[in-house]
Amino acid sequence: MVAPKPISLKALNYQRPETHRGYTDHFLDIDLSVPTIAIGTIDTKIKQTFIGGKGFDLWLLWQAVSGQTRWNDPQNAICIASGPMGGTPSFPGSGKSIVTAISPLTGSVIDSNVGGYFGPYLKFSGFDALRITGKSAGDTVIFIDGVAGKIEILSMTGLPSDAYALSDMLSQHFAADKKTGVSVVSSGPGAANTRIGCLNFSWYDNGRGRVRYKQAGRGGIGTVFADKGLKAVVARWEQVSLKTNRPADLEAVRAVAKRYAREIVELDPKQNEMARIGTTHLVPIMNDFDLLPTNNFQYGSHPAAALIGREAFEKLFDPGFDGCWKGCTVACAHGVRDFVPFTGAYKGCKVFVDGPEYETIAGCGSNLGIFDPFTILEMNFYCDTYGLDTISVGTAIAFAMECFERGLINRDHTGGMDLSFGNRLNALELVHQMAAGTGFGTIVGQGVRRMKAIFAERFGADPAMLKDIGMESKGLEFSEYMTKESLAQQGGYGLALKGPQHDEAWLIFLDMVHNFMPTFEQKAEALHWFPMVRTWFGLCGLCKLPWNDIVPEDNKATPEPAKVMKHVGWYADYYTAVTGNNATPEDLITMSETVYNYQRIFSLKMGYGTREHDTLPYRAVGPVTVEEYESRQERYDRQLTETHQVDIAGKDTPWKVAALRSRREARYETLKDAVYKRRGWTDRGIPTVATVKRLGIDFPDVLAVLAENGVT
Amino acid sequence: MPVVKFWDGAEMITVDDRPMPWHAGMCVADLLAGLPDGHLYAVVKMDGRLIGRPRFAGTQVPDGARIDLIPMIAGG
Repeated sequence: MVAPKPISLKALNYQRPETHRGYTDHFLDIDLSVPTIAIGTIDTKIKQTFIGGKGFDLWLLWQAVSGQTRWNDPQNAICIASGPMGGTPSFPGSGKSIVTAISPLTGSVIDSNVGGYFGPYLKFSGFDALRITGKSAGDTVIFIDGVAGKIEILSMTGLPSDAYALSDMLSQHFAADKKTGVSVVSSGPGAANTRIGCLNFSWYDNGRGRVRYKQAGRGGIGTVFADKGLKAVVARWEQVSLKTNRPADLEAVRAVAKRYAREIVELDPKQNEMARIGTTHLVPIMNDFDLLPTNNFQYGSHPAAALIGREAFEKLFDPGFDGCWKGCTVACAHGVRDFVPFTGAYKGCKVFVDGPEYETIAGCGSNLGIFDPFTILEMNFYCDTYGLDTISVGTAIAFAMECFERGLINRDHTGGMDLSFGNRLNALELVHQMAAGTGFGTIVGQGVRRMKAIFAERFGADPAMLKDIGMESKGLEFSEYMTKESLAQQGGYGLALKGPQHDEAWLIFLDMVHNFMPTFEQKAEALHWFPMVRTWFGLCGLCKLPWNDIVPEDNKATPEPAKVMKHVGWYADYYTAVTGNNATPEDLITMSETVYNYQRIFSLKMGYGTREHDTLPYRAVGPVTVEEYESRQERYDRQLTETHQVDIAGKDTPWKVAALRSRREARYETLKDAVYKRRGWTDRGIPTVATVKRLGIDFPDVLAVLAENGVT
Repeated sequence: MPVVKFWDGAEMITVDDRPMPWHAGMCVADLLAGLPDGHLYAVVKMDGRLIGRPRFAGTQVPDGARIDLIPMIAGG
């Protein structure tokens, strides 16, 4: 297929700012409404404060929006950035981009990180960050040509609607015979018709001769993208080497990259085998520990889980190199060749499925009571193709299924569909409906928070039950881990800035399995340090997987093995070598603390970011129903009697459910107090003036937001 | 990986590439109890199959098994 002839709406020829020590010191600012293309500068103070990546995104987004801006206002901005180390080939996981916007799900700031080549190509084209505001009238493509030094806003009417065909066509069109030199950011029809749209970030897989994808999935940024009338943003760049970032100390970069890559090549085959089976190894592990969400997070295991785990996908994945950035030895981005969908527009055609990763398997598999790897593959494929976030899709359908099974909704509401758990055809039908904006899919595509309101107000469902079993917090659907038995991970989800997503804090094993943090204070310390170290990767253009998914053999002998400090030290060396700014492991935490607190205050600016927004549905904290309790009765009885010294003799299950609930909810509130204190926040969860002064973000507009909320 | 035998003919397994003696009826929990740092491991890989701690006591180790101890520090 040939791409439609583009019509130039606006063009700018520019002198490409050279990268120096990981930065270009410039950002690209595009307003689609006028349209305009402008280039802004990033001064030293901003660099020191916000570092890059999510920090730059938040800084640009803050200036674009007011506290009254809604997700579909033209003022809302999509910001995309790499980071100072982004684009380094051969240092594992150095190709990440981070995207921010005001979310259609949460109404507040959302961030989502993603692989693919776009972030590095954007930077090497001269821009540490990209901000897109405004709305275009028709199908618009932004083309950033770092090779020619030209930026264009193009009208391209008649492009394919789905991401699968679109990225392929645009890669062909803009590549100038070198497809590896192009990366496409796109969404799809599902993004336009729901609030859970994702962005697909492409790279060209030369070995297989095809366009591949990673997704910035969380929070509906794809929906914002579609609302702006954008079809795609394309970046073009040519050669990349260790020198392209012009690091301060090239030999030091080379040395730490070589050390890290070598360790991964040696140890990954003995450990999680990410390079062979990606994150599918987590399925059997989570199942063994009762942590694999099953039937809308009611249960944590299922006898059929082996059918959708590592052993299934190691047979299905296409062998070969699968790094989403050049030279990454983790290489976890696997896919399935020649898959033939049995529904939808690609029914009967051979397609390549990028994935699935663990989250998709759990979200679109076990959590829906589906234990068929081919259905999961088909849901994965169509979600990507339609531009839908597999996590929100899975968690939203799981909620609808439980509501259907409990009689909270019925066939009159679902358009006649049986939504019992395990009904794979109707789960797929819902995905197609979401993409088309038809039927019950239009309701499911609004996300769990709005589904709860619709089910209660229109269908007469019990709001209290909906609140307990609807797995969202702050409006964002839960990612796919059970948290009932880990108080620290309840905090990891409930206190995450954007909502319950594991990239900010994943403490289940440290807490529940290893019991490394038995006290509230220890959990609070973990809920300080771990979110900060994870945030840091998103400031620098890095993937966090190499940090703790491949662990040095001598790690267990270190004082705090959970922190994998040997690797944190290597990251400090890497930062120093690229930027020329000396950094210790402690400095990395402070860098993150600055941006983290800024983001919390940004949420406050948008009308959120306080204690009442850090709440969880009770399903995330403990057993909601009698059947959940009785399925693990020995565990819960023991906790009541031994942990809480409750006399349960002669008590029935509903009494015990209530007794456990009051205690678990109280523990969560106590944890909040401890975490707020550790983070330097008030008991309402707001950073204090002393905290923002310590971190150097006591800008007048920041202090004004604090003052408006009674913090002076 | 071929099964390595003791010189006296005793049967063997390998744990992190090191040979260890095996006995009939050995389960994963028994194996880890015999290691100085066995308590640190929540997951093992046995002949390519992942096994979590809740199943250590109920999973038999076959003669000649190849076992890798998985650190599983953080995940997610």
